[in-house]
Amino acid sequence: MNILLACNAGMSTSLLVQKMRKEAASQGVEATIEAKPLNKALEAIGDFDILMLGPQISYAKKDAESFAGDKPVIVIPMADYGRMNAKGIIAEATKALANK
Amino acid sequence: MAEESKGQAFLDKFAEVSARIGNQIHLRTLRDAFATVMPLYILAGIAVFVSQVLFPLFLSGDSLSAAQVWGSAVTLGTLNFAAVILAGVLGYCFAVNKHFENAISCVVVGISAFVIMMPQTIVATLGSAVYATNAADKTAATLSYAVDSFSGALGMADGYALSGVDVTGAFATSNTGANGLFGAIIIGLLAATVFIKLSGLEKLKVNLGEGVPPAVADSFNVMIPMLLTLSLFALVAAVLAGFGTDLLTLIATGIAAPLKGIMNAGPWAVIVIYTLANLLFCLGIHQSTISGVLAEPILTMLIIDNMATFAAGQPIPADHYMNMQIVNSFALIGGSGCTFALLLDTFLFSRNKGSKEVAKLSILPGLFNINEPVIYGYPIVFNLPLMIPFVLIPDLLIAATYGLTCAGVIAPCVVQAPWTTPPVISALLATGGDWRAAVWQVIEIAGAMAIYLPFMKVSERAVQKQLELEANAA
Repeated sequence: MNILLACNAGMSTSLLVQKMRKEAASQGVEATIEAKPLNKALEAIGDFDILMLGPQISYAKKDAESFAGDKPVIVIPMADYGRMNAKGIIAEATKALANK
Repeated sequence: MAEESKGQAFLDKFAEVSARIGNQIHLRTLRDAFATVMPLYILAGIAVFVSQVLFPLFLSGDSLSAAQVWGSAVTLGTLNFAAVILAGVLGYCFAVNKHFENAISCVVVGISAFVIMMPQTIVATLGSAVYATNAADKTAATLSYAVDSFSGALGMADGYALSGVDVTGAFATSNTGANGLFGAIIIGLLAATVFIKLSGLEKLKVNLGEGVPPAVADSFNVMIPMLLTLSLFALVAAVLAGFGTDLLTLIATGIAAPLKGIMNAGPWAVIVIYTLANLLFCLGIHQSTISGVLAEPILTMLIIDNMATFAAGQPIPADHYMNMQIVNSFALIGGSGCTFALLLDTFLFSRNKGSKEVAKLSILPGLFNINEPVIYGYPIVFNLPLMIPFVLIPDLLIAATYGLTCAGVIAPCVVQAPWTTPPVISALLATGGDWRAAVWQVIEIAGAMAIYLPFMKVSERAVQKQLELEANAA
C-alpha cells in the first residue's frame, strides 16, 4: 500500500506521516507513506496507490483527481487530521483502496 | 434563525470563492513557483545576515570587505537574478498545472521571453575607469583613464558628478533581480500560456511522414510554437523600444510600484487581506489560498528589495517597512492566528483534558509555526469563541509591528527568514539582529495570551455544556 499525503507546504502532513508509518508497522501492514506539498504531490501521484489531502486544501480535490486518473483521492476529515489519528486515517485509506 | 442561515450562506459563498481563487491556474502557478524558488531567497537572507551582521562583529577594514565578497556572490546569484529564475520556474509550474507534457520547454520559453523584453541599452553605474582601444592597430595596448578625471573636462554644472553611462551587451540587475520580479511573473506566465496554446494547434504540427522517428517530429512540434511565441514577444519589445521604453520598466513603474505602495499606505491593505485569509482558515481552508495570491507575492518582493538594499549597506526606505516578514515573523507566531499563545494559555490555565492533550501534541510543531493540529484538533475551525481571537490577533500584531517600525522602535525587516523559524530567533534574523525586535516578539506572545485567555474559557465552558447535554441525553 503506497499512500501519498499532500498539504499546503508538506509540513503538517509530514508530522502525520511519522505517526502513520509507526501505526502501519505496529499493525504489520507493509506501507510506503510519504508527504509532499500539493504541487509536488500531483507530479508524484503515479508512484502511489492513493492520494490523501489535508483538509486545508480540500478545494484541490477535483484538480487532484484530474492528475490521479483512476486512483482514489480523499480528503482527510478535519477531526482525524487535527488529532493526528493515524489509525483512523490508515483505515480510511484501506477502505478507499478496497472499494476501488 | 434567518440571521444564522444568512451568515452561513455568506460563509459558504466565501469558502466557494476562495476555493475558486485557490484553483485558478495562473494564481496557483504563481504560488507554486514562489514556493519552489523560496530556498534561494532564504539562502540570500542568511548570506546577507552573515555578511552584514555577523562578519562586522569580528572583522573590519580590508579583511571585512574580503569576507563580504562571499555574501555579495550569493546575492548576485540569488537576489540579483531572481526574476530570470522565476520566469523559468513559472513556465515549468504552469506546464505541470496545465498537464502539458513538455514542461522543460516552457522553462526555456519563459526565460527567453523574459530576457527578450529587457532593454537592449542600459544605464550602468560607472566604475572607476574607462578604457580605450586602438581601432587601427589591434596589437596596441589598451589605455585606461580614471573616471574622476572626466568630471572637470565635461564642464558639468556645480553639484553634478558622473553617475552612469549607457552600455550595450549587458544585463542590469535592476531587470534581472528583485525589481524585475513582477515583470517576470507577467511575462513568464503570458509566454507559457501563448506557447502552450500554440503547441495545441494541429495546424502548427509538422508532419514528417511514417519513417521519421517520433522524437524528431516532436522536436519540430515544439520548435514552431516556440519560434512564434518568442517572435511575438520580440515584436512587442521592438515596438516599445520605438517609443523609447520597455515592458519591464512599464510593469515595474506602472504595476509593481503602485501595488507596493498600496501595501505600504498604512497597514490596512495587509490587515484586510489577512483578516479574510485567517477567517478562511476558521472554515477549514488554508489561509494561503487567499494571502498567498493577494498579499504574499508583493510582500515577498518588498522583503527581497530590502535584502538587496541591506546587502548594499543602504538604509531601508519607509515605503518598504511593510513586507512579508512583518507578517511571518511578527503576526503569525506559532502559525496562523498566533496559536502559540493559545497553547501556552492551555498549559497554564486550562482544566480541559482534551485541550491539554491537543496542546501537548501541538507545542513542538507550533514552535516551528506549524499549527494544523491546533486548528483542526483544538479545534479552531467552526469554533466561534476561538475564531474571534484567531482572526483579531494577527491584525493587531501587523498594525502594532508596522507602527513600531515606523516609529523607529524596532529595526525594519531586512532578511527573509524561513517561515518555520521559531519565535525570538525569527525576530533577530528578520531585523538583521535587532534585540528590541526579539523583546517585542516576547511581548507579542504575552499580549496574545492575554487576548486568547477569556475566549479559551468561553470555548471550554461551551464544550463542557455540550458534554453535559450529551450525558443527559444518554
